[in-house]
Amino acid sequence: MNLVELVLTVGKIAIVLGFFLNLAALGVWADRRQGAMVQDRVGPNRAVVHLPNMLARLIVLLPPALFGVLSIFLALGNVTPRLAHERALVNVQLTVLVTWLSLLVLCVTVQRGGAINKLEEMFEDIDPRSIFFGGLGLHALGLVAMRFVTLDGAPAAARITGFVLGGVFLLVGLYATSRVPEGSIPLRLAGTLHALADTIKMIFKEDFVPKNADRLLHSLAPMIAIFPAIVVTAVLPFGNDLCFADNGDKVFGFADLGNLVNAVPASGACAGWRVPLQIADLNVGILYIFAMSSTGIIGAAIAGWASDNKFSLLGGLRACSQMVSYEVAMGLALVGLFLVYDSVRLGDMAVWQGQNAWGVFVQPAGFLLFLTALCAETKRVPFDQPEGESEIVAGYFLEYSGFKWGMFMVGEYLEMCFASALLVALFFGGYSLPFIHPDGLRIAFGDAILYEYKMTHLAVTVISVLGFFGKVVLVTWFQVFFRWTLPRFRYDQLMKLGWTKLLPLAIANMMLTAVVVLAARSAGPAVASWLKILADLSQALIAVLTLAGFVALVVGLLEPVERKKFLASSAARFAAAMGGVKAEPRQA
Amino acid sequence: MIKRTAQTTWTKPAGGPVTGKPIARPNRTAEVQAYFPEFVRGLAVSMRHFFKNTKEMMLGQKPDPVLESLEEGVTTICYPEERRPYPERFRGIHRLTLRDDGSPRCVACLCCSTACPAQCISIEAAEYPPGDSKRGYERYPKTFVIDELRCIFCGFCVEACPCDAIRMDTGIHAVPYDSRDQFIYRKDLLMEFSGRDGSRKSANPRHEPGDPTHPGLSRDHMEH
Repeated sequence: MNLVELVLTVGKIAIVLGFFLNLAALGVWADRRQGAMVQDRVGPNRAVVHLPNMLARLIVLLPPALFGVLSIFLALGNVTPRLAHERALVNVQLTVLVTWLSLLVLCVTVQRGGAINKLEEMFEDIDPRSIFFGGLGLHALGLVAMRFVTLDGAPAAARITGFVLGGVFLLVGLYATSRVPEGSIPLRLAGTLHALADTIKMIFKEDFVPKNADRLLHSLAPMIAIFPAIVVTAVLPFGNDLCFADNGDKVFGFADLGNLVNAVPASGACAGWRVPLQIADLNVGILYIFAMSSTGIIGAAIAGWASDNKFSLLGGLRACSQMVSYEVAMGLALVGLFLVYDSVRLGDMAVWQGQNAWGVFVQPAGFLLFLTALCAETKRVPFDQPEGESEIVAGYFLEYSGFKWGMFMVGEYLEMCFASALLVALFFGGYSLPFIHPDGLRIAFGDAILYEYKMTHLAVTVISVLGFFGKVVLVTWFQVFFRWTLPRFRYDQLMKLGWTKLLPLAIANMMLTAVVVLAARSAGPAVASWLKILADLSQALIAVLTLAGFVALVVGLLEPVERKKFLASSAARFAAAMGGVKAEPRQA
Repeated sequence: MIKRTAQTTWTKPAGGPVTGKPIARPNRTAEVQAYFPEFVRGLAVSMRHFFKNTKEMMLGQKPDPVLESLEEGVTTICYPEERRPYPERFRGIHRLTLRDDGSPRCVACLCCSTACPAQCISIEAAEYPPGDSKRGYERYPKTFVIDELRCIFCGFCVEACPCDAIRMDTGIHAVPYDSRDQFIYRKDLLMEFSGRDGSRKSANPRHEPGDPTHPGLSRDHMEH
């Protein structure tokens, strides 16, 4: 491992750890916020920072101004025709996006707070949904229009669209800055500040150690518990392999980092230096994850033992038995997947899923089994007997306070985020997105190519990285819902489920998969081509569902709310005279 | 003579042994036992709530907890940012109503402190100085003290007052303080509170001595 690889590895560690630690903190917040929203409560929204007016204006102005100046600066440069074409396309789409988004925000602001000039009065009677649909139409129009731009005209198009995008950015930024209300601005960020406030509180809390506890082990346990949750992230591939061309000295050095290749073939082959976006490209991949996550048991066991408390000991015992039991089912549920993928390396799995179908389609039973086992591994509802507050006070971290307790807490959420990342890597296509191949976008069913658009290597990599992290955030968000939906199992039910249901089902799934895989591989080319078409259909299904979900989400957000006032009491009449009891329109 | 209650499902049959009420077992169809279909339905329910409430929270469309209390969604009161107004007949903190010249209407007759079951009102009556037109007709309270910690908010003082001088229509509830002496409300403080309509007087007209409308004795009758 030479110096440049070391530097790149440190960079990758920074990216992955930064993402996961922040996602864990946000997960704590999302858990509380979702619980409140599911149960019709207000939830955490009290923590507030009052920003001085000038600072608020600066925060509103800075990002658009930065992006605007950046896009104008980029438009002044000279690039190859292919890159210029791509840049023009991105510019057009971004311009449309920024336009409809800011018009929407303006429309909602005007309809809530009233217009202040002639321009804003136009938005008073507009249905915001029509703005959104108009924006979608413009997106499609922009895609069609870019088909007519030839490679010769691409540089000019890129320049013009760059200037337009910069202008739109600057205009939006300046107008939004002028609309910032007077006085100090209360910043609540939907309750995210509570995570920060909790952290500050935990730093200053008393660190209590029971009198007869084993001091060393008691302090060591939280670290042992949080360690596996952090180190397992080393084998997650979070993006396409980067490919650098060699500068002629046959040695991978810092000079090569400037020559990122422009485009790679559809096979993803790399002639120069390949840099996988993965901290450690181990050839045992998933086995390393199993080995490391098993050590998480030790942390819980030692915490329960060292606290000198019967309740803690019971919690530790429960945690141990539960995690050991479910690890068996967890490993066996994945064997079918390895048979299909023909590899245990997570990078290969992502490539396979990008070229064929996502794991959730080829192994639906395995997915359900693995998901159940994974929920049990993270010790969250409905499998949170180790912390069953109704019978053992708080489980194995009962005797912990301050930041040691915080480490257990963050460790739990880190495990949840990592579990989401593992689900994404194994079952939801890893960093691959539907129809995005190493050489660009290609919508094809079997051998029939419907639409093809070549992209640069850099664009594909950025999209893949964003895709992976976006999927992880989505799956994490989804996992929190289990907690607010399901009741807790009884302890004997939990053990029965693990040993007498999941384990036999996992073994059955493994055998069935082996038979099917053997049959499919020896069936001949006709079956193979049918399977390929099925796989492409599954990718199309994902793409369509994603787009439909996005549109439904925005339209649902913009749907106006009709409410009936009900003045039955004199208190309600007083409230109506005051203009309602809402303190301010934005309570969240 | 033992009174016989009517037989219901829940009463013990007279003379017979206690029999349990048969409860229907839950219907364990294959779908229920498979757990996942029901799980997905449950997820759908919690997601519906989540999206609806999150949207209303973020866009400031939360139902007003008092005016739109019948709407579903988050109708929690975020006290103290949001406050539920008290109903019209709510007895809040006392106030002393004022005359036109800004002095209290109270004539220090001690009716309220007499009527008070908690004995939380203490009034020191004093005569008007010689030469004052009201001297000989009424007295005024030199001190008027209400101990809001002792007060049980029964409203007897308001009922007892013959001049509409004390009222409990401020619509404010007693504030939590951190020391006892902060609960002792004196005359000047009590005169500063206003009713819910913002006025410090009362709607009932007051007839000062010497006015033609004054119903009581005048100095002309004093010779008789």
